[in-house]
Order: sequence, then structure tokens, then C-alpha cells
Amino acid sequence: MSNMEKDNNTGLEGFSDEELFRRVDHNSLDSEKITAPRYSYWRSVFRVFFRNKVNIFVLSVLLLIIAFTYIYPMFCEYDRFANLMNSATKHLTPAAAIKQFGFNLHYILGTGASGQPTFDAIWFGSRISISLALICAAINLAVGVLIGAIWGFSKTIDMFMTEVYNIIGNVPYILLISVLVLIFAPSFWTMVFALTITGWIGIAYFIRTQVIIIRDREYNLASRCLGTPITRIATKNILPFMTSVIVTLAAVEIPSYISYEVFLAYIGMGLSDMSLGRLIYEAESAMVTPGWEFEFWSPVVVASIITVSLYVTGQNLGDASDPRTHM
Amino acid sequence: MGYTDFACPTSRYVIERLPMTKYLLRRLLHGLISAGIVVAIVMILIYSLMNRDLIFAHDTTFTNLGNNQKTVYKYRRWQEYGYIDYKTYADYLAMLTNNGEIDEETRARVVGFGKKAENDSEEVAEYVARFEEYYKKLGYRVQRLDAIMATPRKYANGGQQQLFAYKDLPLSSRLVKYFTGLIEIDNIHYVKEDIGERKLTFTLHDPFYGGTKFSPAIIGNGTKHKYLLYFNNRFPYLHQNLITLNLGKSYSVNTGVDVFTTMTQPQGSYLPRMVTYPTGLQEESADDLHTAVYVAGSRESSLVYTDRFNDDYTSMLTVKSGLSKMGYSFVIGIIAVMLSYLIGVPLGIAMARRKDKLLDKLGTIYIVFIIAVPSLAYIFLFKAIGGKLGLPTTFDMESTRKLMYVLPIISLALPSIGDLMKWLRRYMIDQMNSDYVKFARSGGLSEHEIFTGHILKNAAIPLIHGIPASVLGALVGAIITERVYVIPGAGNLLTIAINANDNGVIVGVTLFYAVLSVVSIILGDILMAMVDPRISFSSKTR
Repeated sequence: MSNMEKDNNTGLEGFSDEELFRRVDHNSLDSEKITAPRYSYWRSVFRVFFRNKVNIFVLSVLLLIIAFTYIYPMFCEYDRFANLMNSATKHLTPAAAIKQFGFNLHYILGTGASGQPTFDAIWFGSRISISLALICAAINLAVGVLIGAIWGFSKTIDMFMTEVYNIIGNVPYILLISVLVLIFAPSFWTMVFALTITGWIGIAYFIRTQVIIIRDREYNLASRCLGTPITRIATKNILPFMTSVIVTLAAVEIPSYISYEVFLAYIGMGLSDMSLGRLIYEAESAMVTPGWEFEFWSPVVVASIITVSLYVTGQNLGDASDPRTHM
Repeated sequence: MGYTDFACPTSRYVIERLPMTKYLLRRLLHGLISAGIVVAIVMILIYSLMNRDLIFAHDTTFTNLGNNQKTVYKYRRWQEYGYIDYKTYADYLAMLTNNGEIDEETRARVVGFGKKAENDSEEVAEYVARFEEYYKKLGYRVQRLDAIMATPRKYANGGQQQLFAYKDLPLSSRLVKYFTGLIEIDNIHYVKEDIGERKLTFTLHDPFYGGTKFSPAIIGNGTKHKYLLYFNNRFPYLHQNLITLNLGKSYSVNTGVDVFTTMTQPQGSYLPRMVTYPTGLQEESADDLHTAVYVAGSRESSLVYTDRFNDDYTSMLTVKSGLSKMGYSFVIGIIAVMLSYLIGVPLGIAMARRKDKLLDKLGTIYIVFIIAVPSLAYIFLFKAIGGKLGLPTTFDMESTRKLMYVLPIISLALPSIGDLMKWLRRYMIDQMNSDYVKFARSGGLSEHEIFTGHILKNAAIPLIHGIPASVLGALVGAIITERVYVIPGAGNLLTIAINANDNGVIVGVTLFYAVLSVVSIILGDILMAMVDPRISFSSKTR
């Protein structure tokens, strides 16, 4: 409408057809090109992510910690009981430890109950904790997303799985974990098994709800009417939409396993390895003893920094991976 | 913005075309069946999968016993913990005597069996064979342990000969036994012995108060409890003993006492006051006469009881100064819940209204802190800060100071405040872009009216769904908070029971948790339907 009115007002009278129209030949090569700016999904994700200065800071903190966690133990020998026989090395504050051993990176956070350097203990501990969190999250997310997608698509599976979800949700998690830990030894892989045996079902339920919401949107109905197979709809229409959901989910999941490990260790059902949680558990009495506080607070603070930086990075990456923020 | 499409939690159940009450009953039934399955799973976990030798890890009696006695002790304990059914040869003979198949003399003659099978006299051998045959037919395994001798005439430590039969209890019979014994209704035929006229008496003047004060009560004779219904001065004032819940007996945490009683029984020091016993004897005592339970022949057994009572209802609880486990958890939990709604809701609204302003940013930092930092870390942080400010950091049942409740309540409230802020902000911001808000704005409503009158109403609905869960959740208690502040609450019960391998308590607590969670979800749905007229159970929602 508005275009026609415009044309009438521009005063095109008096021009001949030859002046107004020029013949354009058909060019099959040109017609293949779409005149839109080049768009790469992941490049846009990182452009949006790095636009925020906070993200750069948090990501570098995270990378620094991960580097420390995985590279530092490779270059240092850590024996928890190396100083056991020397009573002058136990429960030292940083200042006293540096006085005792001379200035040394190992002792900048003081020493623990058996004279072990707290600094080393933390990095060896966080290597276990972070590995546990990453492995558990990877398994749970993979299984959860896959089963959640099937759960969302099939009506018969939905009925069955909803019942399973209602039942498993009521089995106390601590009970399950402690029984598993009692059956097998409290080793690293037992813990992974205990945290993943039912851990995926919450994720699967969340994904199922998301799939149900998107499944019946118009474009998917249209796609189905055109005869697109379900697997193609799932991978091409729905999975891209879920990327940001999955990344956000990972941001919540990964730190939660570290918290869980700390919690389980504290109630006495954790790993037998010296993970971060177990460090905190064993140093609990040091919290109230004057002069010993460093032993307790350093693993707590490091665990918090790890979880917060993982969470913030993940959340913001999740926001950035939503195409609607790419404008 | 991954969560923008977050579905409200009601989609957990498929809602069908049914009238409201019928629908809710069906849901409840469904939930209770789920709870039953949960109990079955837990029973499989603890009775079949867990190593049953673990219960002896801290048992000093076990370590001190030797040889055959050690073995028998093991089986006896396993029976007490509910793993197996265990019958000795003596039990079998006693059963025969009770049935009248053999007389007392025969029993006494054949009860002693030989050090080895070949030493048995002919008559004993016959009964031993009958014992073996009887229990083998029932699926038991019979085991005979020959005597272990230190010298030819002297037994080794615990080396006496033993003869017994045992079998693992199958899951089905264990489940049936558990659920049939779950609810016990007291009746006048409970007492087996002769007790005189069996009856229920309704009185308007409870004899406990001297028979003059108006206080209705139902008193039974022949029942398990003497008082079936009574009033007293403790919350909730009206008490009943007619229906008793048997969630499971404890073996080590609180020996011989039911889980539910463990959770609801007052704790602390005795509270003695003047008590007038049924005989008229007045004494300074902490006995709670209203809780008297029948114990056969007890009155004659002790002079104290003969002085105090006219009948065999002599076993009773005591009045104690503290609250019950559940009581402490609930007081702390419910105040924390109220506090978190009082603070979290206004803060969430304020954050949504001032999106991307300073308050929103500060709130987001707080939310990130609470979600990401391990709960253990910030509870210790609050404890350290509180201790510096001079607040009591440990709980003392004998103290009446209200200040000791402050830190646990704060520790419980702060995370749920963060949670409420997060979701309310999210829901409100989602609502802010919807058409009805734009329409209201174009219609000239003020921002305040739009927020409180329209957006909040819609955004609060998913939060309202969670209210019953958080109120009932307060009954269960919180594990870390109660451990850190040494609160004698219910939250620790499960972890203590797991560490002590107390199977009865584990099963009982699990059922309790499962039923609470089923009920709280249903209550949440009802509450939501009451608040939001668009939600109805009588038609399809989607």
C-alpha cells in the first residue's frame, strides 16, 4: 500500500519505458548468492562472550586455576607425611612456615596437621575434585540430554519415565550414595558411579520439558508435515535451540558436583582420597583453633573460587550461545 | 537466557478429565504407591546389597566373644536387624510345648543335645531330626556347630555346641510385614492376660487432674495405652494414643524405639513436678502419666510400682525440658522459611523493577555467591562472622537464650532468599514483555500498579507451588546447618542411621521423606489452583 502511494507521488510521468526499465539477463551464478553478512554461530558466541570485560577476567581466573590444578602437581612431589616426624612443622601459620622452611611457594599458606604444605594439598585436592566434577557432568549431561530428548518425543516413554522420575526422586540421595560407597570402597570411580547412577534423571526431565515446549512449535509442525524424519527434526531443529539451555545447565551442574563432594566428605561419606571436600572435613577443628585458621579457610576459599568462576563462565557462555543475543 | 521458557512444575503429572476430589485422591494413591516402591528399593539396597558384616564393625560385644558363641551372636543380631529369620532348637521345643505336642518333662529331657551329632541320645536324635525336617521344609537352612573344646573336659571360650535354623527374609514378606504393621490401632483386646472388664471409659473429668477439673479423656482397660485421648498443657493440647505409627524400630541410634517416636519425643533434662499417682501417692517425678503403656506383670515386679499404680499400666515417657528432634528442626526451619519469603519476595520484585541498575547487579552477585559457593563454605562463613559478633555458635538445649537460634535461622534463610530472588526476578522479567503488560501500560496504569497488581500475581504462581514443600521440608531439618551448630534436630537422623547401619531407622526415615514429598507436591498443586483460577483439575490444561 505505502509503496504504491509513494510511487504515485514521485512523479514518474513523462519518462519512457526504456528509461525506466533495463533488461537484466538471467545469471544462474548470481542467483545462488544470498546477500547476507557472513554468520558463524560459534564466532558470534565468542564475540558476545568476550564483549563483557567481567567474562574475560573470570575466564582467566578459571584458566589459571585449571592450569595450576593440572600442571602444578606434575612438577612437584607431594608426600602428605613427609614432615610427620618433625613436630615443629605442624599447624604453622604462613609466616611461621616461611620462617621454618625459608621462602618457598609450597609454604605460603602454612602447614597442616601432619606438617604437610597446605598449598600443595589444595592443588592435589582440587585436581581430584575438578576431575570428579567434569567426569560426572560429562556423563550426566550426555545421558540426560539423550534420554531427555527421547523422553520428550515419545508419549509411551513419557508415561513410563515420569513414573520412574517420581519414584527415584524420592529415594534419598545420601542413602543411595552411602550404600554404594559401603558396597564398593570409597574410591574415585565409586563416587563417579554413585553421582551418575541417578544424577542424569533430573537433567533428562529438564530437557524433556524443554523438548515438549519446542516440539509443538509451528516450524516443527510444518517440518513434520513436509515429511522430515524425527531424528532430523531432533538434530537440526531442536538441538540448535537447546545449545544455550545445555550450556547453562552445565554451568549449574559442574560446580554442583564439587559442592556435593564437599558436602559428602563433611558428613563422612566422601572419598578416601584427599579431595578438597576431605581437606575441609579434616581441617574442620582447625577453624576454631586460633592460629590454625589458614588450614581450614584456604581449601574453602579455593573451592569457592573454583565453583564461582565455573558458574559465572558457564552462565555467561550460556547467555552468549543464545542466538537472540547475537544482534 | 536459557531459562526463559522454564515450564511450571505442575507439568509433572498428566492432568486428566476428572472431578477435582477424585483426581486428587487418585494422585494421592499414586503418590503413596510410589512411596511404597521407594521403600522397596531402599530395602533392596540395605538388606541385599550392603555387606551385613558391617554392623559388627563397632560392636565390642562381638569382638569379645569367641568361637561358636560369636557365630550365634552374629545370627541373633542379624535377626534383630531384620536380615534373617533365626530359630534355635530350644525355640522349636518351646513351640512344641506351647502347642501341647510334648509336655514340659519331655522338653526338659531332650533340650540338651550332644557335643557332636553322634553323642545324641536316641530320643534327642529323634527330636533333632524332627527339628531339621520341620525347618528344611519351610526353606530354612539348619546349622549344627559341634562343641569346641579347650581340654577334653573344658569348653573353649564360647565353644558350646549350637543348633539353629535360619533363612533370609524375602523382600515380599518383609514389605508385607512392614506395611501391615505400619499403622497400629489400639483396641481393648490388645492385652493377652486377664485384666478384668475390657472397656473404654469416656470421662469429662480426667482423674489425672484430681477428677474435679473439666478435661475430657478416653481411658481404656485392655488396651495398650491407658489414655487414648486426653488434653494437657503442651502443644497441640489434644493428644491421642489410639493410632500409633510404626515407621520402624531403631536398633542402635535409639535402641528399641520407633523412628517416629524418636523424631517426636521431647529431649533434654527431666522436668520433675508434683505428680499424683493413681494410688493417691504424691511424688516429685518427671513421669507423664498420660503416656502409660501396659506391661504384663509389671506392678508386682517392683515395690515402686506397687506403691504408685493400681494396674499394670506402668511404663511411661517422661516430661522433658527440650523440644523433640522434629520440634527443633521445625522451629528453626519455619522461621527461616517465613523470613526468606518476607525478605526474598520484596528483593526479587525490586531487582526486577530496577533491572540492570545497581540493586539488580548487587542482587545478582549475591545469587551467584549463594548458588555457586558450596553450602558448607558459606555456613561456616556465617558461623565465623556470627561468632565474631558475639552470637552463640553452638546450640544448648538447657539454655533458654533465644539468641542461639539466630545463626542457624540465618544460615537456613540466606540461601532460600537467594533462590526466591532468582526465580521471582526471572519470572517477573519474563512477564514484563508480555502483551497484557504493554496493554496495561498503554491504558495508563502506573508502573507500581502494573507490578503489584498484574505482574507479581502472575509471576508468584510458580513460587506459591513451592510453599507447602518448604513448610513441610522444615520438619525434615537440614543436615549441614544442624551439624555445624550442634542442633539436636531431625536432619541428622538419616546420616547417623546410615553410619550406624540402623536399618529400621533408614527405612522409616525414607518412608517419612517420601510421603512428605508426595503430600507437599499435591498440596502445592491445590494451593496453586486456589490462587490461579486458570488452573483447574477438571479439564485438560494443555
